[in-house]
Amino acid sequence: MASDPNQQTERHGWKWLLSAPALIVLVLAASGPLMIVVLYSFLTPGNMGGVAWEFSTDAWFRVFFRRDIFDPDNVTVNQAHLAVLWRSVWLSAQTTVICAVLGFPTAWFIATRPPSQRTVWLFLITIPFWTNLLIRTFAIQEMLRNNGTINTALMWLGVINEPIPMMFTDFAVLLGMAYVFMPLMVLPLYAAMDKMDFRLVEAGYDLYASRMAVLRHVILPLVKPGFIAGSILVFIPSIGAYVTPRVLGGGQKMMLGNLIALQFGQGRNWPLGAALAMVLLIITITALVLYLRAVNRQEAKRDG
Amino acid sequence: MSDPDPTQPSEIEIKGLSKIFGQGSSAFKALSDINLSIRTGEFFTLLGPSGCGKTTLLRVIAGFEQPSTGSLKINGKEVAGQGPNARPVNTVFQSYALFPHMNVAQNIGFGLKMLGRPAAEVKETTARMLKLVQMEAMADRKPSEISGGQQQRVALARALAPQPRVLLLDEPLSALDLKLRKEMQSELKRLQTETGITFVFVTHDQEEALTMSDRIAVMSGGRILQLGAPHDIYNSPAERFVADFIGDTNFLTVKVVEATDTVAQVRMPGGMLQSARLPAGMHPAAGDEVSVVIRPEQANLTEGGASPLSATVTDSVFFGTDTHIHVTLADGTPFTLRRQNAGNPTPPAPGTEVGLTFAHGALQVIRE
Repeated sequence: MASDPNQQTERHGWKWLLSAPALIVLVLAASGPLMIVVLYSFLTPGNMGGVAWEFSTDAWFRVFFRRDIFDPDNVTVNQAHLAVLWRSVWLSAQTTVICAVLGFPTAWFIATRPPSQRTVWLFLITIPFWTNLLIRTFAIQEMLRNNGTINTALMWLGVINEPIPMMFTDFAVLLGMAYVFMPLMVLPLYAAMDKMDFRLVEAGYDLYASRMAVLRHVILPLVKPGFIAGSILVFIPSIGAYVTPRVLGGGQKMMLGNLIALQFGQGRNWPLGAALAMVLLIITITALVLYLRAVNRQEAKRDG
Repeated sequence: MSDPDPTQPSEIEIKGLSKIFGQGSSAFKALSDINLSIRTGEFFTLLGPSGCGKTTLLRVIAGFEQPSTGSLKINGKEVAGQGPNARPVNTVFQSYALFPHMNVAQNIGFGLKMLGRPAAEVKETTARMLKLVQMEAMADRKPSEISGGQQQRVALARALAPQPRVLLLDEPLSALDLKLRKEMQSELKRLQTETGITFVFVTHDQEEALTMSDRIAVMSGGRILQLGAPHDIYNSPAERFVADFIGDTNFLTVKVVEATDTVAQVRMPGGMLQSARLPAGMHPAAGDEVSVVIRPEQANLTEGGASPLSATVTDSVFFGTDTHIHVTLADGTPFTLRRQNAGNPTPPAPGTEVGLTFAHGALQVIRE
């Protein structure tokens, strides 16, 4: 407070150079590509892919609306795009909930083992992560397809006569994503439980709480940071998932990631792809902000 | 051992209780054959070194552990097999275990809320408890925002709020510094008197046990070695372990001359005859060698050959109110005396030949 802040800055003016490596990484590696995507979304598609350097808001327009080919003035909402957007959000939200519901008992199981055993269980949880995502997804396909493991077994047992069609449904995509992203929920939940003081659970029982009451009033509030971290870690990659909906959902049950890939590939409409990518980013950030705000509001309410 | 007094109602009745952890070769017997009757409204202390089973016994009473064998009755009802949420007892944990996501008032009201009491009652009782432990100003703070001593008070209030029949305290003062500990000791006594609730207190601090308790059970190796009022435990320890664990003690080996059921005439080193109390059930024969306990404050120094038991002063240590005088008996046994400083001359210099005399009733025979 005593010295002039400007003078202070001047004297140490060259010191910011020391942070140059970090700044270069942040500007070039993190923000740079994003800036290019923003720029491309306001350009015109090139004939053979790529972009023509001509400003246009058409890509953004086409994210939400479509023009009739024969009558350009006939503008309708682009139902196909909105369906994909909605499916992406909805499937990702469901994936997050499934991972939370199944991940909680899993993490609890690991956290309540003797310390010497926990490493083994954590190892088993993370093993699928070491296998290529595509291979894992094809393994699920092998189980779900009409003459796959599940249908063959059920028919052999006489439970069903006709195979249940499971491939290329929302169910298949959901199953695949929940399976793939489960460790991302289990690990932060486990970390939160590992830090938890189990004497608090005893204190809960001691003060006449039932098992459900201990879960609700003691355990869940204490592992909430784990739920928050896990939800973010699952939701974000889910909403941009590409491989899982591609293999298990086929062309029918596309998600945003597939739609974006389509625009950069066969669609040869890079600006539209870029605009869709920006929409994905905006949805993700909005969802995150809303989620964190809701969580904080709940906290404030309890405190009040 | 003092037997349960049939005229006093007993709050906790433990019979033949044992607790074994693990199985097979790794099995560990934490409690063996505990028989205990804790009276309604008393301040009862389980005292012993770490690993003696006192905390396990407390956890069995609380319901966190189930007994392997035996019966446990609280207020006349068998509770072995029941969970902690079904027992009319509450625990003050060593680490307090306050819920970090709730504020002080919510912590205190938790038990009543779980019992399904109406919100108005929860609020009223919480306010009363806050007042009882003088924490009204802190009601809205989180446990992380108050000091250790304050957390201690909140933990007490939380455990007292549901008005349990028995309050279990697991070394609740061990984390506090000396001054706070003294304060909380009298605070605990005040709370116990005011609420009339039976307190079962676990500690390894013998001074804490002596000053606060109505009765003490001294434990070692999963057993209760001796049970009695503080002055009984201190003045008439029945076993070497109890005598050694509680207070400073001198042990002497003496020869029995004759013995009745309660008192023995023993010959001290140097030939002096003294009477010594016998622990219940011990019947030494004439000529047996037994150990006796003499507390340092029960022995006196005489100078100029007035006592046949002679000793040589090795050194003396000044403690403010009293002085500890270390002497060595003729056979080399070390012996410590404690002498009030007020009204006494300065202690003899090291090397001085002195004699030892003992107050009436100073000697207690112990089991090895």
